[in-house]
Amino acid sequence: MVQLVGPLRKELADSLSTCKVLVVGAGGIGCELLKNLVLTGFKNIEVIDLDTIDVSNLNRQFLFQKKHVGKSKAQVAKESALQFCPTANITAYHDSIMNPDYNVEFFRQFVLVMNALDNRAARNHVNRMCLAADIPLIESGTAGYLGQVTVIKKGMTECYECQPKPTQKTFPGCTIRNTPSEPIHCIVWAKYLFNQLFGEEDADQEVSPDTADPEAAWNPEDATARATASEKDGDVKRVSTKEWARSTGYDPVKLFNKLFKDDIMYLLTMDKLWKKRKAPTPLDWLQLENTACPQDEAPGSGLKDQQVLSVWGLCQMFQHSVETLRSQLQEKGEGAELVWDKDDPPAMDFVTSAANLRMHIFSMNMKSRFDVKSMAGNIIPAIATTNAVIAGLIVLEGLKILSGEIESCRTIFLNKCPNLRKKLLVPCILDPPSANCYVCVSKPEVTVKLNVHKTMVLSLQDRILKERFGMVAPDVQIEDGKGTILISSEEGETDANNNKFLSDFGIRNGSRLQVDDFLQDYTLLVNVLHTEELERDVEFEVVGEAPDKAPPPQTNQEEVNSITNGNKDSAQPSTSSKAAPADDDDDIMIVDSDEEEMAASSSAAAATSGTKRKHSDAETGETSTKRPRTDQSSAAAADNDDDDDIIALD
Amino acid sequence: MIDMIEKEDPIISEEEAAQYDRQIRLWGLDAQKRLRGSRVLLAGLGGLGAEVAKNLILAGVKGLTLLDHEQVSEESCRAQFLVPVTAQGQNRAQASLERAQNLNPMVEVHADSTRVEDKPDDFFLQFDAVCLTGCSRDLMVRVDQLCSQRNIKVFCGDVYGYYGYMFSNLGKEHNYVEEKPKLVKPTENSNDGPEAKKAKVDPNETTMVKKTASFCALKEALEVDWTTEKAKAAMKRTPVDYFLLHVLLKFRTDKGRDPDPQSFAEDSQLLKQIRDDVLEALAVSSDLLSDDFTSYCFSEMSPVCAVVGGVLGQEVVKALSQRDPPHRNFFFFDGRKGNGVVDYFGPN
Repeated sequence: MVQLVGPLRKELADSLSTCKVLVVGAGGIGCELLKNLVLTGFKNIEVIDLDTIDVSNLNRQFLFQKKHVGKSKAQVAKESALQFCPTANITAYHDSIMNPDYNVEFFRQFVLVMNALDNRAARNHVNRMCLAADIPLIESGTAGYLGQVTVIKKGMTECYECQPKPTQKTFPGCTIRNTPSEPIHCIVWAKYLFNQLFGEEDADQEVSPDTADPEAAWNPEDATARATASEKDGDVKRVSTKEWARSTGYDPVKLFNKLFKDDIMYLLTMDKLWKKRKAPTPLDWLQLENTACPQDEAPGSGLKDQQVLSVWGLCQMFQHSVETLRSQLQEKGEGAELVWDKDDPPAMDFVTSAANLRMHIFSMNMKSRFDVKSMAGNIIPAIATTNAVIAGLIVLEGLKILSGEIESCRTIFLNKCPNLRKKLLVPCILDPPSANCYVCVSKPEVTVKLNVHKTMVLSLQDRILKERFGMVAPDVQIEDGKGTILISSEEGETDANNNKFLSDFGIRNGSRLQVDDFLQDYTLLVNVLHTEELERDVEFEVVGEAPDKAPPPQTNQEEVNSITNGNKDSAQPSTSSKAAPADDDDDIMIVDSDEEEMAASSSAAAATSGTKRKHSDAETGETSTKRPRTDQSSAAAADNDDDDDIIALD
Repeated sequence: MIDMIEKEDPIISEEEAAQYDRQIRLWGLDAQKRLRGSRVLLAGLGGLGAEVAKNLILAGVKGLTLLDHEQVSEESCRAQFLVPVTAQGQNRAQASLERAQNLNPMVEVHADSTRVEDKPDDFFLQFDAVCLTGCSRDLMVRVDQLCSQRNIKVFCGDVYGYYGYMFSNLGKEHNYVEEKPKLVKPTENSNDGPEAKKAKVDPNETTMVKKTASFCALKEALEVDWTTEKAKAAMKRTPVDYFLLHVLLKFRTDKGRDPDPQSFAEDSQLLKQIRDDVLEALAVSSDLLSDDFTSYCFSEMSPVCAVVGGVLGQEVVKALSQRDPPHRNFFFFDGRKGNGVVDYFGPN
C-alpha cells in the first residue's frame, strides 16, 4: 500500500530528510529554489554565492528586503529560508564556487548539485566538477519570459560543454575606432575610452583613429606602410591616452575637442573610408555652447533616464562626469585605476554622454541613458514568475533523480507562448554525451590554430586555456620527450615564462601540449597548428568550430538558449574584442516540434527554427528537428549581464 | 475596471524605478504604471495562493487583498512560506500578512478572514481582478459570472499533488497590445547610420499592435458537451487534465475538502468512484484516467505550486497591464511529466 507523507511517497520523503544538496547561486533562481527545496522537505542544503544584494534584485529575489542591500546573498537567503523551516540545516558560503577549496572531495558530499548561475565560466567549472565527482547536476537559466532546465549525468547525458555555445559577438577594431555604423559600436568605444582614461589601459581597447585600417588605404602597399609607420611613430598613438589626459589635468573641454573634433577631423583625412559611407561631422564645444536652447530639455512624464538628451545636454553630462571621475581618481591616489560599473552614476553618465556624442557625430539616432545602460551593462530583463516556474521544475527533476528515476528526467523549455501542440512547457528527452566533446570524453583533445612566434605563454594561459577552455588553474607540459613545464598553476613558479613566445620553447606546428587542471580533474591534449594567417584582431582559432566573429546561423532556439545562459561569459567585459565569447544566453534547445507542424506554422509564437540536431518529443518519441524560436521577447536581444541569475541553460 | 485604470500618478518615483528596473526593461513603463493602479483580490492562502501573492506583490500592484477564513494548521506552515511556524490557530490570511507586506512595502496588502461564500456581490466589484484558489466549483462559477459582467478579470487555480491548473476569463472583449519588431525600410536619409540602407528587422525598433481576445464563462468552459461529433473528434488532442479537474472539483464539492493524506485509503477509493461517475456523466471513455492518478493528487506540492503560481501570476500581470497575448483559457500542469499545456474549452 502506498504511504504518503504529505504529497510524497514515504520512501522519497525519507530520503529528502537525509540527503545533502548544493545550490550554486542565490539570486533569482536561487531564492525561488531554496524556498522550494525547504518546503518540499529537503533538510540539508548548502548554498554558495559570491555576490551582495542590490536594490535592482528586489523585484524578484524575494528572500531579500531593502534593509539587506549590500549584504551577502548566500547569507541572507539562508536566514530567510530558515524562517520557513527552522529545523532545516542550511550552510551558506559567501564565496566563488571556483575557489579551489571546493574541490572534488567537497562536491562528493552531495547527492545532487543545482546550478542557479548567471555566467558561463562558473557553469563550465561546475560542469567539470560534477563530472569529476560523478554527481548529477541540474542546469537551468532564465531571461525575461523564457527559461529552461536540464539534467547532466556523466556517461548518460550530454555535459554542459558537449555542444559548442555561441560566443559573444565582438567587433573589429577599425569599426570601433574608425567606422562605427551602429549605436553599439559607439557604446563599446565609450567603454574603451573609460578604461583608457580612468581604468586599466588595454592594448586591445584603443580609441584613437586606426591608421592601419586596411580599408583606409588606396593601395595595399599603403596599408602596410601606414601600419609600420604608426607602430614606429605612433603618430596618433605616440602618447597614451591616459598620459595625454593627465597632461591636460583631465580638462573636459580639451578632452572633448580632441575626441569629438580633432580625432574626427583626422578620420576625415582618411578619405577612402568615406567614399561609400556618410562622413562624420566634428563637434565644437564653443559652438555648441553658444547655440544651446533651454527648450531642448523639456522633461517628459516617463522615467528621467528614458529621455534622449540634447547635444548640449550631453556635453554637460560629459563635462560633469569627467570632473567627478577625475576626483575619484585623485582620491584613490597615485597609480589608481577605476573599474567601470554600470551602477556607478558618473561612470554610467560618462559612457552615456561619450557614446551619444559619437553617435551624433556619425549621424545615428541617439539613445537614452536607460537604453545605453542596457547595452553597456549587458542587462538582461528579469521577473519573478519566470524564475518561480523554472525553480519549481528544477525540484521536480531533482525528485526524479532521488527516486532513482533519472531516465524519466527531461530538458524542459519554458516558452512565452504555447507552441503548435499547445505546449507552454516543453519536455524533451535528454541527449547522450557527444563523441566530440572536449570535456567529457575519456581522452579530450583539441586543435588550436595560432602563430607560435606571436603568441605569448601568458596569452596561452589566460586567453586560450582559461577563457576559451574554461580552466581555472591550468598546468601545461610540452610533449617534447623532456616533459618541459611551460605553465605551472603554483603561484609564481613559471612567471618568467609569461612574456616569452611559444616558439621560444621549441613549440611549432604539430607540437602537443598536455594541459591539466587538477582542481577540475581534467586533462586536455592541445594540438598546435601554426599559422601566419589569422584574421585581424584574431589571436587563435579552435579547429572544427566556427570563428568567434561570425557565429553560425543560429536557430532561434540556440539564441534562446544562449540568452538564458547568462550574460557573463567570463570576467572580461563583453566589449573586449579578444575576450572569450561572452554568452549570456544559454543554449536552450527547444525541441519538440513535428516536421509537419513546423512547416505549417507561420505564427510567431509557435515557430522555432531548428538546428540540425534531432530530439525526441518526450511524449510521442517522434524525432523532430529543433527550430529556432521567433517569439523572443525583444529584451532577449540584449546580451548583457545582469547580476541576476540568468537562467538558461545557457 | 481595467480599461479605466488611469495612470493616476503618471510619475514613477526613483525608488520604484530602481526596484522595478529589471521588469520595466521587459514589459515597459506603461505596463508598470497600469499594474501600479490595479487592485486584486486573492482568495485562498494555501501553497498556490502564497505563490500568487508573492508574484503579484513583487510585480507592484496597487493593492492586494488576502481573503481566507481558514485557520493555520501544522500542515499550513509546511505548505507555504508566508505563515510563520508559530502562527498555529491564527487566521491564515492574517498570519500571512506581515511577510507578504515585507515583500514590497509599496503595495497595499490587506488581510480579510471572512468566508468567500459569505461575501456579498458588491464586495468583488471593488477589484480590477479576482483570483480564486481552493474554492468550490459553485462559488467559482458564481463569482466568475458576477465579475466578468463588470469587466473584472477572473482567474481560478488549484494544485492537487503533482497536478495543477489555472483558468482565466478576461471578458468578451479583452484589449491588449503586442510588441512586434518593426521592419525598417531603406530610406535615403537614414538616421541610424549607413548600414540602415538595407531593409531589415531592427531589434531595437518595435511597434505596438492592438489586439482583442474573447473569453467565455467558467460555467460554459466546464460544461462542454462531449457527445457531439466535433467534440469526439477533438478528444484525441484534449488533455486528460481537464477531466481530472472535474473529478477533483467534484470531490471538493462532495467532501467539503480536498483529498487528505491522513485518509489516503478511503479518499483514493472515493476518487476512483467519482472518476467513474464523472466520466460516465460526461459520456466519455472511462479509460481516460487510469487508477494511478490517485497516488499523485494529494496535498499541494511546493514545486507544483511554484510552477502554476508563476504562470497564473504572469497571466494576472498581463491582463492588468493589457500587454501580450493572454493564455486562453486553461493552463494544465502535470508535474510528473513536466508537461504544461494551454487549451481552450468552451463554445467556439
